[in-house]
Amino acid sequence: MKLRKKLAVVGVATALVAGVVLVAPAQAASKDLVVGITLDIDKLDPQGATSFSTVRALGLVYGSLVEVGPKLQIRPGLATSWGFNATGTQLRLHLRKGVKFQDGTPFDAQDVKASLERILDPASKAAARANIATIKSITASGLDVTLNLTIPNVPILAALDGVNMAMLSKKDIAAGNIGKTVNGTGPFKYVSWDAGQSVKLIKNPTYWGGAPKLDSVTFRVIPTEASILSALNAGTVQFAVITSPLVAKQVGSNLTMYKTPGLAYMALQINARQAPFNNLNVRLALQCAISRAEVIKTAASGDGSVIGPITSPAYKSDPKARPCPEADIAKAKAYLTAGGYPNGLTIKTMVAPTQQATIAGIGQSLKSQLAKAGITMELDVVDDSTYVSRWLAADFGTAIANNGGKIDPDTMYTRYFTSTGNLNKVAGYSSATLDSLFIQGKSSGSVTQRTAIYKAISAELENNAAWVWLFAPLEYRVTAKNVTGFIPLATGSLLELRKVDMN
Amino acid sequence: MQGISTLRRLFFSSTFIRIASAITTLFGISIFVFLVLRVIPGNTITGAFGIETGALNPQQIAELRHYYGIDQPMIMQYFSWISSFLSGNFGYSYATGRSVFALTKVALPVTIELAFIGTILGVIMGIAIGMFSARKPGSFRDFGGQLFGLLALAIPGFVLSTAIVTIMANKFHYFPNSLEYMAPWKDPWMNFQQMMFPGLVLGIAVAAPVMRTTRSALLETIDKDFVRTALGKGVPARKVQFKHVLRNSLIPIVTMTGIQFGYLLGGAVIVEKIFAMPGMGRQVLEAITRREYATVQSSVMVFAIMFVTINILTDLVYRRVDPRIK
Repeated sequence: MKLRKKLAVVGVATALVAGVVLVAPAQAASKDLVVGITLDIDKLDPQGATSFSTVRALGLVYGSLVEVGPKLQIRPGLATSWGFNATGTQLRLHLRKGVKFQDGTPFDAQDVKASLERILDPASKAAARANIATIKSITASGLDVTLNLTIPNVPILAALDGVNMAMLSKKDIAAGNIGKTVNGTGPFKYVSWDAGQSVKLIKNPTYWGGAPKLDSVTFRVIPTEASILSALNAGTVQFAVITSPLVAKQVGSNLTMYKTPGLAYMALQINARQAPFNNLNVRLALQCAISRAEVIKTAASGDGSVIGPITSPAYKSDPKARPCPEADIAKAKAYLTAGGYPNGLTIKTMVAPTQQATIAGIGQSLKSQLAKAGITMELDVVDDSTYVSRWLAADFGTAIANNGGKIDPDTMYTRYFTSTGNLNKVAGYSSATLDSLFIQGKSSGSVTQRTAIYKAISAELENNAAWVWLFAPLEYRVTAKNVTGFIPLATGSLLELRKVDMN
Repeated sequence: MQGISTLRRLFFSSTFIRIASAITTLFGISIFVFLVLRVIPGNTITGAFGIETGALNPQQIAELRHYYGIDQPMIMQYFSWISSFLSGNFGYSYATGRSVFALTKVALPVTIELAFIGTILGVIMGIAIGMFSARKPGSFRDFGGQLFGLLALAIPGFVLSTAIVTIMANKFHYFPNSLEYMAPWKDPWMNFQQMMFPGLVLGIAVAAPVMRTTRSALLETIDKDFVRTALGKGVPARKVQFKHVLRNSLIPIVTMTGIQFGYLLGGAVIVEKIFAMPGMGRQVLEAITRREYATVQSSVMVFAIMFVTINILTDLVYRRVDPRIK
């Protein structure tokens, strides 16, 4: 009996320590929005930001000359109007009046000049330097800026959007303070960064678009999306971006979910300079053996749309125009036979499942589909950093890629598919036709002309099965019910939190 | 002559040998971690810039290699890091803009507290259930105890953690770990709430081997002559159970607890991730993804030093528990 009593005491003590008695944690104040993120930010320099967390957090603090709206239209940001000269070699921008940096310094054309020159300076390690590398010189006066370009480059306007094109204070640049102090023109002001835990922002009452309704935004690091969803259910987080369709399926009616088609796309990237993929018939066999609809169904729980190379709405590729728009196993086998592989072949595909939630499923789906055509796909599973390293060295035959999209196809693909593009080695394919088409697309100011040019580029890429473009996954933004007024942007930016309210 | 003999005794004493072998082990670990990080593809530049590394020109890459200190020969990099580490400079984390020492100062107490709570809970549960089982071997209670041990071993920590988080958040709207982490000296009540579930998950993981070790050690000791003698002399069964049987079974239990505590320091990674605890596990994991060499190397060395120290301490505890061991 005594032993039993003692055991009972031990049991009760264990239960107490285990915390059976629950006390609800203190709730956040009403206008303080907490955003759940899986990865911490990794720098405070907006022009060098590459991780999603950093781009999203700093995107609320800094402003850019133009913005991309919900319908992917280019709209005024810090510049209110703009125009190209007749040859497309000069872009003139007029800046918004009365804008101030968060330290109270007025924003003017000299800040634009200093910011763009910093991006162009290789020493700054800016992420989007290649997008504006055609700028030859910049003239600035008052609220007017002129960008003089080396070649006609109409798409450069769209490239001026985003946190990598953040406008910085010339004073901060001169003092070497970028990345150390945070001083933007955006709707929120930076307060603190507790590494591994949270980034805190408060509203900027002097924001040019009007003071935000939220008092503060805190980005809190919760490393798994399932735990973020739990935090949303517990009411300790009020906003999150979810990428996993499986987690998104568990979002209940107590939360609001926005499903947005993004510009990013999934593709089976092929290294066409490596055997056996230097054989067009082999590439076409891969193209014909795959049902994109099946991949979306099995890997993304049906959330996604079949796409061609270009995802920008204005120039979107027609996936039905490709060879084998639906899977055609007989045709795939015929291509294999024509390519010298009548008995099929084995290919190795590099995958990094942690890059995106659907990647592991895509790998399995492709593997089983290709098997029907006699192609054995061996999945070469690696971690993110290994993937990036081997990807950059073109050390793969095929790879499942989760690539970001841009609103202009020129910015999206010039670096991949022109023979001098800095990622052409990775893309594994180029041709004189593509080089010529991309130059035409860059210099044309007419939407009709550009539509025809990018249609031709899509056809050239798909007819040669440069890669196998699969689908565009949906992006899920989940908010608590009391969060109102949010407008999701296909670019992934959370800038519209500036209009959000909490009841 | 006496001085030389004292020196010789010291040199061959088990403690000295233990410490010397620990230092050799640590040295080996430092080289191993350093080399493994360099062998796997990728480096700090690809970790920081991702696929945008492809947009960098050779001059930028050269500048970045110099900036991150990876342009030096490997041997130079190793000695530069290890000498800095030994002088208390753990290196610099480029992603956070802070020293690795500053990061470790915040993360290490979280992991130690978590491992400590997990071990305490595990030992309490493991010994209690082990004793409960061993009292009547082959009985229904023994079956129940062994079933607990089996389940605790079989259910992975991440499944248990996810289940707890999901159920508590969905059914009770309770997930204190999604609030800002509070150190025990800042807000002890919040810290308790944030530690209890991850502590329980780790405790269950520790309880299983401790329970099985306790049970078998008790069963082995219970048949010993001195136990029968004590019972024959009329010593109460409870006193025999705790003062004679349990005490004489402690060595394997202490060994198992020491090993488990060491594993918890490293094995808490998944639990830290699911419960959003800003501990050492997460620090190492994120640093590996970013290929932040100094952060990974120094953090692993901190783990290794702690593991080795715990093993030495366990040896010392043996002596206390069993004076026959010298």
